[in-house]
Amino acid sequence: MGDRLTKGILRIMKEALFVDFIKGLSLTLRYNLSESVTMRYPDEEKWIPYKRFRGVHTLNRNAEGKELCVACELCVVACPTNCITVVPMEDDTGRGITDRVAKIWTVNLLRCLFCGYCEDACPTTAVRLGRDYERACFDLSCAVLNREELLSPGEVPGEFPGGVVVKAALERTAGGIKVKADLSKIKEYKVVK
Amino acid sequence: MPDKALIIEVIIMFIKLFVIGSVLFGLPIPLTWLERKVAGHIQVRLGPFRVGPHGVLQPFADMIKMLLKEDIIPSKADRWLFPIAPIMALVPAFMVFVAMPVGDKITLPFIERDITLYVSDMNIGVLYILAISGLSVYGIIFGGWASNSKYALLGGLRSGAQMISYEVAMSFAVVGVVMLSNSLSLVDIVKSQSGGFLHWNLFYLPVGPIWFFIFLTAGFAETNRIPFDLPEDEGSLAAGYHVEYSGMRFAYFMLAEYIAIVTISMLSVIFFLGGWDDPLNLGLPPILWFAGKVGAFVYLFMWIRFTLPRYRFDQLMTIGWKILIPLSLLNILVTGIMRI
Repeated sequence: MGDRLTKGILRIMKEALFVDFIKGLSLTLRYNLSESVTMRYPDEEKWIPYKRFRGVHTLNRNAEGKELCVACELCVVACPTNCITVVPMEDDTGRGITDRVAKIWTVNLLRCLFCGYCEDACPTTAVRLGRDYERACFDLSCAVLNREELLSPGEVPGEFPGGVVVKAALERTAGGIKVKADLSKIKEYKVVK
Repeated sequence: MPDKALIIEVIIMFIKLFVIGSVLFGLPIPLTWLERKVAGHIQVRLGPFRVGPHGVLQPFADMIKMLLKEDIIPSKADRWLFPIAPIMALVPAFMVFVAMPVGDKITLPFIERDITLYVSDMNIGVLYILAISGLSVYGIIFGGWASNSKYALLGGLRSGAQMISYEVAMSFAVVGVVMLSNSLSLVDIVKSQSGGFLHWNLFYLPVGPIWFFIFLTAGFAETNRIPFDLPEDEGSLAAGYHVEYSGMRFAYFMLAEYIAIVTISMLSVIFFLGGWDDPLNLGLPPILWFAGKVGAFVYLFMWIRFTLPRYRFDQLMTIGWKILIPLSLLNILVTGIMRI
């Protein structure tokens, strides 16, 4: 009985002195003085996805620099939207790992679902979905990617772990707008307690 | 032909009125930016960021938007009251500033003339302010009635009821201040609090803090700010007296609200925090002290807005009538005893 009475008196005193208000206000003041977590894309920062991210396709080479694609057309068969076109060719110059290479390898990004079936179907790990997700442009020039563009290295190397926000800058060039990331400057978020 | 000194006095008065008018019309520009920035940072995000550096041009963009919006008047709206309501809300908000002092006297450098930093130091300034701010209820009632919409009417009536009930509590708080400072003139109230922190009405224990709390609570309710903004937020949900207004008419209601916030902040500073008094003797000009204190209160309004949930309407009326008024009466008794 005495314990409940003291608890009751304490509760009334706390309500009279607005202890709960003060607690709430001090919390919001602490949040007010802490750093914001907004990602300032594209002017200052950019999100680099994880390695498993299914972005725009890449055609890979092996360690000696030879193209891995043997134009087996398994990716063509696997694709649910028929957006990949592959035409094989015989080549003795040693461009690829065997004498069969791709003469034409195009993917129509407007039809692509980015499902990753082509990646799963490829027997030589040639086609992989990379980490590029910025494909906006003013005409249909960015719609279809051909072999040369797919073979060129992407902005994020394969070994980079990803899943972080890095410093970036927006570049307006004659060819279009690009957000250039600096992979060495990874943003550290301070936890707001 | 009146003599030269009188003409100069009248001209100076018109200049002061012009300055007050332009400052008050320009006030929402920094205040809306500050509100959105404070809202953002309390919610651990940036506020407006793209329009200018750190979003400082955002209020100008909003102003251009408001000016260019279509002015929609409901077809069955009351033909005269509908346009008058925003003006009825705005004019009393401006009129209050005739009696509000910002400082005491400054000496102009080149002309070697003293001008007082208030338009008029009425010896019943407090009464004038309470009376004029009571007129702003009309803008809300007219807005709710003239919109010819059930929800606007209910919202307007609720807001009107809230404002008149908290006016009683605010008047009691002002009576308490008058008892502590022995004058109804605002400049004398500030002067009676000079001499350091302990002379402020806020620290006149035990009644000072209670009067301050009552005044501030009633002030939050008068300006329809959170935690007492149920009639206004119902405007974003379903109702509220300004739901049928668009463009500049709505902007006038918003302008009236921000000016009311500044009014309550200035009154709190004048009544309880010693106005432009310099407690630490730092030698800064008094108007800077005044601006700093008022700015702190404006921040307090915004800080509380983004912290507290809002009261339900019956809780709101309970607080106004059943808690603040008995507390005020008790406090008047204690203040009277202490001032014997």
